[in-house]
Amino acid sequence: MHKRNVQLVVGLVIAFAMVFALTGCGGGTTSDNNAASTSLKDTITFAQGADPRGLDPAYVDDGESSKVIVNVYEGLLKYADDSTQVEPCLAESLPDVSADGLTYTFHLRKGVKFQDGTDFNAAAVKFNIERQLAPKKTDDMPYADFVWGTVKSVEATDDSTVVITLNQKNSAFEANCAMSLGAPMVSPTAAQKDNNNMNENPVGTGPYKFVSWKKGDSVTLVRNDDYWGTKAQTKNLIFKVIPDNAARVLALTNGDVDMIDGIDATAVDQIKGAGDVLQTTEGMNINYMAMNVESPIFKNADARMGVAQAINRDELVKNLYQGYATPASTILPVFVPGFGKDVQQTGYDEAAAKAALAKAGVKTVHMITYSNPRPYNPATGSKLATAIQGYLQKVGVSCKIDTYDWTTYKTKVTAGDYDLCFYGWTGDNGDPDNFLNLLATNDWSQNVSRWQDQTYIKGIADALAMPNGDTRNAAYATLEKQAAAANVWYPINHTQLLWASSPGLKGVVYHMTGNTFFANCTVAAK
Amino acid sequence: MLKFIIKRILMVIPVLIGVSIIVFCLLRVFAPDPAPIVLGEHATQASMQKWRDSQGLNKPVITQYVTYMEGVFKGDLGTSYYTQTKVTDEIMARFPATIELAIVAIIFASIVGIVLGVVAAVKKNSIFDAVSTLIALVGVSIPIFWLGILLMMIFCGPTTHIFPAGGRITPLMDPSHITGLFTVDALLTGNWASFNDAVRHLILPAFTLGMYSMAIITRITRSTMLDSLNQDYVRTARAKGIREVKVIMKHALRNSMIPVTTVIGLQFGALLGGALLTESVFSWPGIGKFTVDCIMKSDFPIVQGIVLLIAAIFVLVNLAADIAYAFLDPRIRYTSKKEE
Repeated sequence: MHKRNVQLVVGLVIAFAMVFALTGCGGGTTSDNNAASTSLKDTITFAQGADPRGLDPAYVDDGESSKVIVNVYEGLLKYADDSTQVEPCLAESLPDVSADGLTYTFHLRKGVKFQDGTDFNAAAVKFNIERQLAPKKTDDMPYADFVWGTVKSVEATDDSTVVITLNQKNSAFEANCAMSLGAPMVSPTAAQKDNNNMNENPVGTGPYKFVSWKKGDSVTLVRNDDYWGTKAQTKNLIFKVIPDNAARVLALTNGDVDMIDGIDATAVDQIKGAGDVLQTTEGMNINYMAMNVESPIFKNADARMGVAQAINRDELVKNLYQGYATPASTILPVFVPGFGKDVQQTGYDEAAAKAALAKAGVKTVHMITYSNPRPYNPATGSKLATAIQGYLQKVGVSCKIDTYDWTTYKTKVTAGDYDLCFYGWTGDNGDPDNFLNLLATNDWSQNVSRWQDQTYIKGIADALAMPNGDTRNAAYATLEKQAAAANVWYPINHTQLLWASSPGLKGVVYHMTGNTFFANCTVAAK
Repeated sequence: MLKFIIKRILMVIPVLIGVSIIVFCLLRVFAPDPAPIVLGEHATQASMQKWRDSQGLNKPVITQYVTYMEGVFKGDLGTSYYTQTKVTDEIMARFPATIELAIVAIIFASIVGIVLGVVAAVKKNSIFDAVSTLIALVGVSIPIFWLGILLMMIFCGPTTHIFPAGGRITPLMDPSHITGLFTVDALLTGNWASFNDAVRHLILPAFTLGMYSMAIITRITRSTMLDSLNQDYVRTARAKGIREVKVIMKHALRNSMIPVTTVIGLQFGALLGGALLTESVFSWPGIGKFTVDCIMKSDFPIVQGIVLLIAAIFVLVNLAADIAYAFLDPRIRYTSKKEE
């Protein structure tokens, strides 16, 4: 009996070893094939953390959709590869702007066709703008008002000229026309066929055209061989969905994918150790703590200053973000026009903070935060709140922290029942108004400090109407100083965008807007 | 028997209505407002109010429920708030992945679980019993998430790249779409490269997902087998000189299979409901993670549709398990005949 048992155990071990060896052989063959190939791959696989919301630029607001959209569609204008400077795209030049700043005349590129063969012309532009204006606009077009909200009328004066008239001056309008959400041009034929919603069947003018979308798994694009410009270098482009951060890193290091983003700073060594290339792009974002000026504690400016003095920004940012974030000297990231290089936030001074808060009678504050990471705060709202709690404890202030999931948190923030809250903003168009206007609006879901300073509000309105240039930039720098003096926001950091690729990947543009442009990208086999 | 089956199928209707009422009310009472999620960062109070009105979310919950059920009875589960896609399309885009993973996981769990359970019972108190009990204990105790990550690190790393790190199939290798189950479609179309690729993608997630079920099945098989092996009819069979293998397989195991079948049915039903952790770790595009994402986004129509589907499946799988009893236990068949 005992002997039979031993035979059985030995048999099982041999069977397992054979199965393992067979599967191992399968994996080895794949690796050998890769190693044998020295030519460029005909497929780029990029892994991102979530499925796109949709693929119609009028109906989406998320980064995952946007990354696909910029490779399928194009707008009248586009951003430069390394800045938010606006350049021509489907318009052959920047628009002619009338003296009163209300009329924009776009001269369109000729001979461009949508991927379904429809001509791109002035009528197509008119269709695209009007589908996002009343009465055709629907409630679920998140960027319709932001991009086109100031448009009064659109006229196609000839086949390649479009005249857009605004109902008020808006110096951000050109920047809006370069955005990846709301602004890209869709094929009118395809839109009409799909009941004006192209979330599932995108058709644009871009360097890649849509092949398929396996929900929750991948979006596949193929080179648009009829593209009007320089054709895409690699035939196939795949956006693979890998929600788990660790799995995404593993997929890059083992060669399953060529590029990933949404990387934890903790995975940096693993990526570098596998011979892959870690890259950073300055993020167009701001991570901040807001003090609610309607709360009994922070309606007192001294209390706000005391809190600002209690926090060591540089130390906080270094510890939380491990070198992949820049301490914020002002609300605007350094590359956004209007960035005030001489803006001074309230500095760290523990003794002064203790005195100011004691004088203001602040002993306890109610803080609300979110439990998840955000693009501007990959460390999560909970960790940030705990860190701030530590600084406030040092100056004799205790914190009651309530933490919510992001959806609930947004409702709580709008309700306003807090002294301190954490929020952030990822810029849409690279215009300073897009950031600084948040402190001027009376919509409390956006202006979470509920600060309403009439001088500031007027300053924002005036600056928006100024033509782009030094005078406008100086106006925004002044407004930044005013916000800094009021201590209603405590700007914490601008988070860098972390992405990584295999060493053979060249030519990709990972833009500060978070978009990924693959038209000039090639990948050598690993 | 037919009467029994019809009766059980009819019971699905009140179950589904009950489930729909519960999930509908829970979402309306406890879920956060979907408006800020749907309309995005630039939503204003006015635009959110307008959107809620357009979706009927400002009406009384009872009115909303009646409107919803009118749609359900017409076969319309609604449209996703977030993606503006039909709920049925969203579910059907992901459900085949869940079915395929659940089937492979339950096959693995059943085969390994029954074999281990039988060996443990037959070789009671031997090293086999100890090993199978240990495996069952590990299977029950080990966190799925941790196991998944561990397996990926072992089998999908840069140096040991035996299996792919996630997904259902390598992009551009999908077989023609017939059933939505890639392995089956690849077989039906004779696409062996796709079949091989789909199987390689399935192994680790199915093993991870089936581990817990395998442990449960091992334990229940061992315990019921021990019970059967001590029964008089087994002793009689042995006394008659029937071969030991036949005694175990025909007399003891068959009688032990009724509770085991129940457990397999319940486990399969649970697996069809999706597996959040396994799907997340292995980037499996099934319904589990999607459901959680939709709950987080307060996408009520999708959540309601998925819960209804899962409830219906659970009831039907258990019905199938009940029917299977009749084939395993002749007494049930005889009782049914007498009733008829």
